[in-house]
Amino acid sequence: MSEMRAQLVATAEALFPTAPDWLALADAGFPFLLVSERQGGFGGDWGDAEAILRVAGATALAQPIGEAMVALALPENARWPHDGRLPALAAQVEGVVSADRFTGVLAAVPWGRAAGQVLADCNGRLLLLPAADHVAEGSSPAGEPRDTLHYADAPAQCVGHGELKAMGAFVRVAQSAGALAAALDLAVAHVNTRVQFGKPLARLQAVQQALAVLASEAAALGMASAALARALDAGDASFEIPAAKLRANLAITRGVAIAHQVHGAIGFTRDYPLHPFTRRLMGWRSDFGNDAFWADRLGTLAVTAGGAGLWADITRRGDR
Amino acid sequence: MTAVFALPPAPPLAGAAALRAAIRGFLAAHLPPGDATRRANSWSVADADFSRALGAAGYIGMVWPREYGGHERPALERYLVLEELLAAGAPVGAHWIADRQTGPLLLRYGTEAQRRKYLPGMAAGTLFACIGLSEPGAGSDLAGVRSRAEKIPGGWRINGQKLWTSGAHRAHAMLALLRSEAGSERGAGLSQFLIDLDTPGITIRPVIDLTGAHDFNEVFFDDVLVGDEALVGAEGNGWAQVTAELALERSGPERYLSSHALLVALIDAAGDNPVLRATIGQLTAELWTLRQMSLATAAKLAGGEDPVVEAAIVKDLGNDFEQRVPQLIQAVLDADLDGSTDLVRLLAHLLQVSPSFSLRGGTREILRGIIARGLGLR
Ligand SMILES: Cc1cc2nc3c(=O)[nH]c(=O)nc-3n(C[C@H](O)[C@H](O)[C@H](O)COP(=O)(O)OP(=O)(O)OC[C@H]3O[C@@H](n4cnc5c(N)ncnc54)[C@H](O)[C@@H]3O)c2cc1C
Repeated sequence: MSEMRAQLVATAEALFPTAPDWLALADAGFPFLLVSERQGGFGGDWGDAEAILRVAGATALAQPIGEAMVALALPENARWPHDGRLPALAAQVEGVVSADRFTGVLAAVPWGRAAGQVLADCNGRLLLLPAADHVAEGSSPAGEPRDTLHYADAPAQCVGHGELKAMGAFVRVAQSAGALAAALDLAVAHVNTRVQFGKPLARLQAVQQALAVLASEAAALGMASAALARALDAGDASFEIPAAKLRANLAITRGVAIAHQVHGAIGFTRDYPLHPFTRRLMGWRSDFGNDAFWADRLGTLAVTAGGAGLWADITRRGDR
Repeated sequence: MTAVFALPPAPPLAGAAALRAAIRGFLAAHLPPGDATRRANSWSVADADFSRALGAAGYIGMVWPREYGGHERPALERYLVLEELLAAGAPVGAHWIADRQTGPLLLRYGTEAQRRKYLPGMAAGTLFACIGLSEPGAGSDLAGVRSRAEKIPGGWRINGQKLWTSGAHRAHAMLALLRSEAGSERGAGLSQFLIDLDTPGITIRPVIDLTGAHDFNEVFFDDVLVGDEALVGAEGNGWAQVTAELALERSGPERYLSSHALLVALIDAAGDNPVLRATIGQLTAELWTLRQMSLATAAKLAGGEDPVVEAAIVKDLGNDFEQRVPQLIQAVLDADLDGSTDLVRLLAHLLQVSPSFSLRGGTREILRGIIARGLGLR
């Protein structure tokens, strides 16, 4: 880990568990991690972002730090008004753009109600939009804002091209890696202290074997996340994004079930700190492309490459 | 954080593209024709001619010293070659054990005479070895080994039985774990011996597997006399040596690529079927992740460390993947298992053999026990 990354991680580990508000995060510079130094940001790379998002996941940080990092990094020349309102990311856009005006709807925008501006993906064109004319508030399974934003003839600036679903998927994968690792930590601590049949649950082989599976899933997810960041830093992650999101979703399915199972009823309570991880994890499986979406994408890449070509692609990309 | 697998992705390997091109060129010229099922689980498929050609091309014993027939290449270059061989379904079964574990064990514990006697032939792909661990009473509980070596002047007298010995009928030598101290119990009093299989008193009988194939065997030792030079490493140190040997065999690409030939065949047959495409996407995601994990573990091994828990995770996840590949494909492929195409022959074959993937080389439950120990639970 570079010295800068280690420092960033240490700062995040100290700040994120204090439930910071958005301005505190912005003051610490985290939203600007991926913005170039020339533009006044940190000039961090995707590996740095991945490390920070893991901390966000592991501390159940209730702020859209990842969405903001991506929203601020992608437009080459856009400026973010430092007015205390956050930048949001909209991957699901329906509407029309004509002559720099946008009329339409942005669905499922994380923290959309609090956004000062929104980066929206209109069929690959990235539009910078102001705060919405009208917000229909919604919420994620973890109770976080997930809003529908309505625009009528709003000013829209095209700031480049890209796929926000893909970048959002990266954010969720990295957060998931941290959150599942944290759920594993809680599970291990719990079985070491909870006594049944006269001994800690940890002594029971069935429990040990279940936690081995959870640890393996957390390991797979952690590796997928790190390898995805590396591909982004290599300049093209069109293969790794679907692969990592699919693997993350599988790890969540398997891992969350075990984390809850070994906790018993206590893990099902509001007071016990497992649900801030598991409810988010379960919701994130749907965010920025579910299994069906990314499996079709990755399957198409594989079938287009052919059986031997797939292996050639995987290894060539890994050798970068 | 409970970090039982805190490995970063392996850094890119310098010269990888050229090495891949070279091994793919070799495969294009030497991959034998034959039934499609021979491309599945191909590290259990023996072809002595292929092994000899591979050895002649310098792809066996790649990391061993030149003086013993090796090529002194970096460990990660060897990893690259192995994954290319397996992804192509090359029949590497004849020499696999010698290259993977018997040779390295001799380099670590063997005498100079043992190295000179065995390693050059192993590197040439002409001298094959097998693993003599399991016995009727010693499976997962390997410390239950009862076959014994009794000290006699100038050597040892061996009696007992090994079981499930893959390739014993093709191998020239067996690395056997034997009880060398009469009356000893469990891990104490065990030693490793490298035994030439043409020594009088050895009987090798096939054990036919559920597909009707002959891969593993039972091997009987009746007053087999070997010289002192058959002992590998220190007398009584067998348990520690075997543990080191097992770590070498757990995290390699053979632990997740055994069903790769089937995935390749499905991709080539998928056309524009969206259901097949989705399954291919799911499996590709796991394939990619497992490769990263296996490679990261190989990089740690290459750095001289002993990633016991990481290796157990790779093998457990890898075996699970290898087993679900045929099952998930069966669930979506609209085809009778009548053997009419390569695809269904591969599918039918792997449905039958894949249960063995989570048995050989340490069962799923034993691996999870190792991971649980890494978590501090036992
Ligand atoms: C295809 C194939 C090739 C093989 N090749 C070789 C070879 O070349 N050389 C060689 O020496 N051996 C070989 N083996 C043997 C292999 O190493 C053993 O099958 C394996 O170690 C398990 O031993 P076992 O079959 O006696 O099963 P057992 O040990 O009897 O186990 C049966 C079941 O009980 C479970 N179990 C056992 N102990 C525990 C425990 N403590 N906790 C929880 N569950 C437990 C096991 O996980 C397994 O599911 C091969 C096996 C196969 C299938």
